[in-house]
Amino acid sequence: MLDKLFYKEKGLFLQSLHPLAALTYLGTLLVLALAFTNPLYLLGILLVVALAIRAADGLEAWESYLKIALFMMVLVMIINPLVVHAGKTVIWQGPHIPVFGRLTVSLEAICYGAAMSVRLLDIISVFCLYNLIVHPDKALNLFSRFAGKSVLVISLATRMFPAMVREMENIRSVQQMRGVDFRKGSAKEKVGKYSSLVNILLLSSLEDSLEIAESMQARAFGSGPRTCYSRNLWRPRDTLFLSGSACALGAGIWGLLHGFGSYTFYPQLDYLISGPGTVALLLIVLFSLSIPVLIGWGCGRWHYLKSKI
Amino acid sequence: MVKAISNDKPNPMLKILFPLFLIIILGLLLAGIKQENFVARQGWGLLSAEIMVIALAFFYWGFEQGRASSREIALIAVLAAVAAVGRVPFAALPNVQPTTFVVIVSGFVFGPRAGFMVGSTAALVSNFFLGQGPWTPWQMFAWGLAGASAGVIKMICPGIGTRGMSVFNVAWGYLFGWIMNLWFWTSFIQPLNWQSFLASYAASFWFDTFHAAGNAAFYLLFGVGFTKILKRFRRKLIIRTIEDQAGSLPD
Amino acid sequence: MSIKEGEFVLVAGASGSGKSSLARVLSGLIPDFYGGRFGGKVYFQEKEMRAIDRRKLARQVGMVFQDPEKQLVMNGVEAEIAFGLENLGLPQKEMFRRVAEVISFLGLTELRQEFTANLSGGQKQKLVLAAVLAMQPRVLVLDEPTSQLDPVAAEDFFNLVKRLNEEMGFTIILIEQRLERCFHLADRVVIMEGGRVVQDGAPDQAARWAAGSGLSLIPPVARFFSVLGFASLPVTVKEGRRQLGQLLSGRPLSGGPDLRKAPASSSAGQTPLLEVKNLWFTYPNGREALQDINLKVSAGEFVAILGENGSGKSTLLKNMVGLLQPGRGRVLIKGSDMSKNRGWHPGRLVAYLSQNPNDYLFQDTVEDELLFTMKNFGMEDDGIVDGLLKELQIGRHRRVNPRDLSSGERQRVALASVLVTRPELLVLDEPTRGLDYRLKAGLGSFLAGRAAAGAGVVLVTHDVEFAAEYASRVVMMFAGRIVSEGTRHETLGQSVFYSTQIGKLCRGLCDGILTFDEAVERIGPLLSGITVARAGTLK
Repeated sequence: MLDKLFYKEKGLFLQSLHPLAALTYLGTLLVLALAFTNPLYLLGILLVVALAIRAADGLEAWESYLKIALFMMVLVMIINPLVVHAGKTVIWQGPHIPVFGRLTVSLEAICYGAAMSVRLLDIISVFCLYNLIVHPDKALNLFSRFAGKSVLVISLATRMFPAMVREMENIRSVQQMRGVDFRKGSAKEKVGKYSSLVNILLLSSLEDSLEIAESMQARAFGSGPRTCYSRNLWRPRDTLFLSGSACALGAGIWGLLHGFGSYTFYPQLDYLISGPGTVALLLIVLFSLSIPVLIGWGCGRWHYLKSKI
Repeated sequence: MVKAISNDKPNPMLKILFPLFLIIILGLLLAGIKQENFVARQGWGLLSAEIMVIALAFFYWGFEQGRASSREIALIAVLAAVAAVGRVPFAALPNVQPTTFVVIVSGFVFGPRAGFMVGSTAALVSNFFLGQGPWTPWQMFAWGLAGASAGVIKMICPGIGTRGMSVFNVAWGYLFGWIMNLWFWTSFIQPLNWQSFLASYAASFWFDTFHAAGNAAFYLLFGVGFTKILKRFRRKLIIRTIEDQAGSLPD
Repeated sequence: MSIKEGEFVLVAGASGSGKSSLARVLSGLIPDFYGGRFGGKVYFQEKEMRAIDRRKLARQVGMVFQDPEKQLVMNGVEAEIAFGLENLGLPQKEMFRRVAEVISFLGLTELRQEFTANLSGGQKQKLVLAAVLAMQPRVLVLDEPTSQLDPVAAEDFFNLVKRLNEEMGFTIILIEQRLERCFHLADRVVIMEGGRVVQDGAPDQAARWAAGSGLSLIPPVARFFSVLGFASLPVTVKEGRRQLGQLLSGRPLSGGPDLRKAPASSSAGQTPLLEVKNLWFTYPNGREALQDINLKVSAGEFVAILGENGSGKSTLLKNMVGLLQPGRGRVLIKGSDMSKNRGWHPGRLVAYLSQNPNDYLFQDTVEDELLFTMKNFGMEDDGIVDGLLKELQIGRHRRVNPRDLSSGERQRVALASVLVTRPELLVLDEPTRGLDYRLKAGLGSFLAGRAAAGAGVVLVTHDVEFAAEYASRVVMMFAGRIVSEGTRHETLGQSVFYSTQIGKLCRGLCDGILTFDEAVERIGPLLSGITVARAGTLK
């Protein structure tokens, strides 16, 4: 499993995007998820992301992310009610605890915890979507224009990672045949055995690094200013994506400044929908964000659309 | 004629900007605990992410500004890959992995800039294979900072010794967890007071303790050896050319 | 020494003869990258090399190194090819054109989207070549480019190089130690020894010189004819067969193939040292790597397992030594099943040498490396360390850091570190990779000596010559199965492609000959009359 990138090329519509458009879209989702507090808005974003993940054929990958999220969600749901005393509608009062004072669990805090766990789900899902639709090389390529050396380090390390994982397995086999039993021993002994593996790997890799450097040198690395090779194409769909993201972000920020999209939990729960504006803005944001899903769906249906954008 | 090319001369500007920037970030974070703040209106979840991203960008910018030879680039990449491979679970002990230790030793030997690059690259690269998540930038930041701080420690007190470095490793075991928790705490918990801080940090206490204990064990067992290996290698980064006049080899 | 444009120069020599350093001087890496003490001058197109700007030089001279694994920089195939172009600061349009050109010339189109880490060795080396070619150099310096490749990939690579030289007019400087595949490609052969050029001339001239000086640098065919006293030495099988055919025409073949059997196994009634019974193995990803393998190895046998990449050779080895657990079937060592006996460690009885000796070395001295293994098995040093170090000729490096040794010496240290337990079975995974003739011969006779002393030796190799020379039994594997098994004459003698150069030379003319010594022994007396006569006429 570790010799393959998490990203899998499937030739999907969403994978064909220019990295700038894809990253802007994902960034917008992230920012909005962190900015909105209204549970309706958070749920809306979750819906959009879920649809996009489905369009990217990633429900399976999402599942593994949801497992990680679950643990953290439970934590959010527990900690919030325990430490917050601001809620008015107290459901349960517990004993007095030294640091936290008297335990009071209020309805508001539970609701806040619930809303925040939706936010958590939003964020984790956005990253899951990122993994599914952006090839690491494409993203790195975007940055190599102004951070060439850093990107080079990253891509070199990425290339070596699978080889090193295999190498580590080999070293482990060799050590095993030399009488090192990895199953036995105290924790300290295990750490010792384990670090001698890393030690051997380090020694070999350092030697290799000189040869890699030599190969770079022979190909004129560092002989002057570099240019940047990029095969990323800008298509009309990217423009659409970018404008969709900009629209959603603009509407979201405007909304937040005018009191839509945020929600007051304490001391008492506010109305979820404070007026028609709340709904209208929500619809605008959601529509702009769901452009990718819509186009992706349309492209799968009509070949004509696909050839045009 | 002896020509020695040494390319690890940090820009004097950077030397001053580095700690200054860190202080600003810490200050911002501390100021944020007080609710009535002009920047706080956008929510601390967003703001903490912004600060962290700016800090990362700043570190990378620092690396781009410096001169780096092909040897240094290859070396940093190799160290980062080794540190990243360390995350692959081999020993069946929870949260005991040599990544932090490798990053710290790298920073200690090769300086803050290389240390940061090793740490942040290790986090990013391993996640290309394990899956990126909201944790990625924070890991990049935390491990990067671990590497950079190890380099700074070396500058401040070069003769820190094994015991001092072990303490440093233990400290980073906890610090790493705490930085990772910042994201969780600022984004999902309200209000941000010291009780909620304590509660969310208590949740990860055992994880962090394992991490710290692992770091200490790695350092005590192999710290000196690793440092020796890297120092030995560092000498190879300096190229010496001695030119002889046609054929006359001085003995 | 001077090299003309369009020439194909082969630089040969044993390891440590300075040929790699010469390559690096020619490409300007010495002294730029390495430093060191440097005297004399190198001129390129009448300009002193060190005075040429690095960027300009890189456009003129391209270099490919030994191990493809340590040359690739980027993740994507296209990005890798473009890497050099980016360094040269070429505009985007020019880069597109060059990348496209090189990809279609080398037939890499299908790999265009691949992740470079997952390519095979041959593909990686081809990609490295592509990346260098994209920079459009006029001179290509190749430093043992095939030493890490299997024979098929190596052949492929050489054909490509030949095309570059003949069709595109590239000047080629090839550094090699495996000569049978490339000797005939060169216009000129330079032989180096101890840091000096000792011979420089046309291939047959070089062959004659090498034959005279007793170096085993030339291909077996040429060596064979030189030993027989021929004046003109053929360097390819084709030429050799023509000559041999002419000589042998009308002469009776001596007594037909004499299939020398392995020493009649006296241990027929005893339990064999290693027995593999109906072994099946499936990897977690579902690949069925081994299918119904049956194999016996008795004490004193030297078994070579041949087969292409992915045929399951290495998987079989790992099952033998207990690193992998069989899916079905059993592996018995001295009659006891390893998988049943969990507490028992095979390492005491079985020595395993992996492909990469670097996987072994992490102690401060060579001696510690051996003691580490002994300590793990709770053994005391009873003089075996001394004995082994002496036997493997690394006694004088006893207190040296093993990482400071050459690759041949490192391998011997690794070997010593697994032999200290006095194992009865030796299992080696491609031990001849990257070794030159001399080191290979040393390793071969060492292992044969161990077998003669009563140990079982099993090794996996791509090196047919090596197997034919030393193995008593040869097993051929294909797609997870054993397709042929028997004495080396039974298996290799019948194969057209998996045969030695001498075997190919003698096939049909005089069957049953595989190695150089056999050929001299059998054909020698037959021809001695003619050769003397011929030598007379030539004078």
